[in-house]
Amino acid sequence: MPIDILVPPLSQTMDTLVLVEWVKKVGDPVTKGETLFTVETDKATLEVEAPGTGVLRTILAKPGDEIKVKSVIGSIAEPGEVLQGTVAAVSPSPAEKSQSLGIAVSSSQPVITTIGSGGSSLPVERPGRIFASPRARRLAGQQGISLTELQSSGTGPQRAIIERDVKAYLEQQSASPRVTPVARRMAEMAGVDLRTVVPAKAGTITKADVQASLQQLGPSVSVPASEVAQGTSWKVKLTPTRKTIARRMLESHRTVAPVTYMSEVDATRLTKLRKRILRELREGADRPTITDFLVRITCLVLAQHPELNATFDGETLELHESVHMALAVDTPRGLLAPVIRNAERKGLAELAHLRSDLVDRAVKGTITPQELSDGTFTITNLGTLGIDHFTPIINTPQVAILGVGRIREVPAVKKGKIRIRQVMGLAVTCDHRIIDGAPAARFLKDICTLVERPDMIWL
Amino acid sequence: MPKMTIAEALRQAIREEMQRDERVFCIGEDIGVEGGFGGAFTVTLGLSQEFGHDRIIDTPISEAAIAGMAVGAAIAGMRPIADVQYGDFLFNMMDQLANQAAKLRYMSGGTLSVPMVMRAPVGTTGRGAQHAQSLEAFFTHVPGLKVVCPATAYDAKGLLKSAVRDDNPVLVFEHKLLYGSKGPRSEKGAISPVGEVPEEEYLVPIGKGIIRRPGKDVTIVANLLMMYRALAAAETLADHPIDVEVIDPRSLVPLDKDLILESVSKTGRLVIVEEDNLTNGWGAEVAALVSDKAFWWLDAPIKRVAAPDVPPPFAPVLEGEYVPSEQKIVDAVLSMF
Repeated sequence: MPIDILVPPLSQTMDTLVLVEWVKKVGDPVTKGETLFTVETDKATLEVEAPGTGVLRTILAKPGDEIKVKSVIGSIAEPGEVLQGTVAAVSPSPAEKSQSLGIAVSSSQPVITTIGSGGSSLPVERPGRIFASPRARRLAGQQGISLTELQSSGTGPQRAIIERDVKAYLEQQSASPRVTPVARRMAEMAGVDLRTVVPAKAGTITKADVQASLQQLGPSVSVPASEVAQGTSWKVKLTPTRKTIARRMLESHRTVAPVTYMSEVDATRLTKLRKRILRELREGADRPTITDFLVRITCLVLAQHPELNATFDGETLELHESVHMALAVDTPRGLLAPVIRNAERKGLAELAHLRSDLVDRAVKGTITPQELSDGTFTITNLGTLGIDHFTPIINTPQVAILGVGRIREVPAVKKGKIRIRQVMGLAVTCDHRIIDGAPAARFLKDICTLVERPDMIWL
Repeated sequence: MPKMTIAEALRQAIREEMQRDERVFCIGEDIGVEGGFGGAFTVTLGLSQEFGHDRIIDTPISEAAIAGMAVGAAIAGMRPIADVQYGDFLFNMMDQLANQAAKLRYMSGGTLSVPMVMRAPVGTTGRGAQHAQSLEAFFTHVPGLKVVCPATAYDAKGLLKSAVRDDNPVLVFEHKLLYGSKGPRSEKGAISPVGEVPEEEYLVPIGKGIIRRPGKDVTIVANLLMMYRALAAAETLADHPIDVEVIDPRSLVPLDKDLILESVSKTGRLVIVEEDNLTNGWGAEVAALVSDKAFWWLDAPIKRVAAPDVPPPFAPVLEGEYVPSEQKIVDAVLSMF
């Protein structure tokens, strides 16, 4: 019997997804569990596995199509199997016949155990459990690769990570040049395949490289098919991610009563502490950023201000014991906010590691929808982009967000003397429906205290 | 170099050993009767004319007697080559083999030794459940017995000669479909591996396996007929492209562990093919060995391809399903990639 290829319900919020590409072509043999096609949801690009083993026989949707969840977009059949409707005069096989007559074929046969092929499948995936062959683990261990980096890239039996996946990862690591975020965004907007861009400086593709590539290719390439030229302006078809951002931002703006409280804080000690830690860090460990410190600090302060670690749907205010810290990340597809779960239970090193992994995958588009949900508080840092102060917008249904500005050197007066201090702008936007001015101010003041006296975070 | 079938190679081994050492003699049912086949599968054909009935001894139909006489003769200093018409009949001599032959050297602190050979044809060949079993695994479980299973003419001669010279009881399992397709006792479906056999003296050491086909992606360990099916599967798999290494263990006790471990540490995948029933076969022991000693080299779960846990069926269609086929080996390998 041919097996229908169904669109899985990958998104909680959308009924349609966009088909990005078919990994297999019609006629290719496919094995149950291997990647068959990729789709873009409102959150990420995801791989979809083949529902059965056989040959890919029909494809009913093409890349770029919007496809309905649970609709059929193709079929897999046994080699040589005739698809229904293609040839009329095909009599069913004896097995199929008796099946349609309701006779259980297997019950009348002697017990013959099937040996060799197939076997029972792996248990349902548990969070945190990565299935990898011993050989793959061995190689990854030797090369100092964390298997989390390879998660969902397994091509072995039952999609386990096997040696070839680790080797492919290593090859990709050494082969593909780094791409600066600006270059990546520019390439995406202009429809330039980054694999065709030759970097001027080996190892890194920059904005200038993409521009050069564009000029070389001429204007025809700079207008992708999804954009219809109208005079000098373009109409751009919004990606699902952008549509979601638009919807959620408007929702936040319409429903929340936001007030932003701003403060300038002396971060001299914090930057010193960070430098000291970076010096002591073992090779290969993820380097804690200012954001990582602020995640830690915020978790500590939220413990004293539980009303800010909350979600509010307009009717019910829900306080959360654990801090699921969302971090605003700039990605080629737009703003995403991956979540570090139970952040209050994690130390700085672990926070840095988790943040690094989440940001990496958010940028690459391999992050899962689960990793983008259930946040209880958000931190957004525009300091690295040179912003001193801004008014962050609340990530509903959360009730507060912390905005982090640039750290800059300023002359500061202390005890009648002028000194050079490192100053950072902090802003917290709270939903005034829930959080009044005074508690919001107290929260920010406590954050500032810990930034100024960061040694307290070890307590 | 002369080419011969396994049956011919075994006969030559017996002849050479009997010429070399007068203590060597053969004992079995209908192995030397005038006008007979020369045993069930022609191996001893003509030897009674050459050596006389004192050294090619026909017995009544009593496997217990054959084994008992062989054990006694061996203890007394002779070098008997005993045989059964079908390996299934070894069950009739279980006490002589498992309780006496296997243990006397150990129990006597080395004072006694039992240098006997027991030859036994195995394999499913359309003869029903009592003339069809592959019994190697039973005897691998008895300390004190050596178990060999030659699959080529070269190995048949070399291993049998080593078995005769060994001071321990050695069971030589021969496959009915590999004796050779010529002659009055050839079995339907035999594949007749005719091979080159040197004229000069040589031995194949007991306990050394051999790589029949080098490969880098998956190791298949298979003995007797299954070794040939594994080689055929390897050709099919080459189109996928999967490069299969086929190992013929040749001896199951002692087992060439190093050869298997070295191969798996190269390929990362192991399939064991045996014609016997799956449960507690020698393949399970190989799987346990590899998962213990080469765990960190494995890139996929170890697979066994074996007969299902039912007696060998009589009906040809069911028999075809029962004996591991080339296709089942191919499927098992494909499931690991």
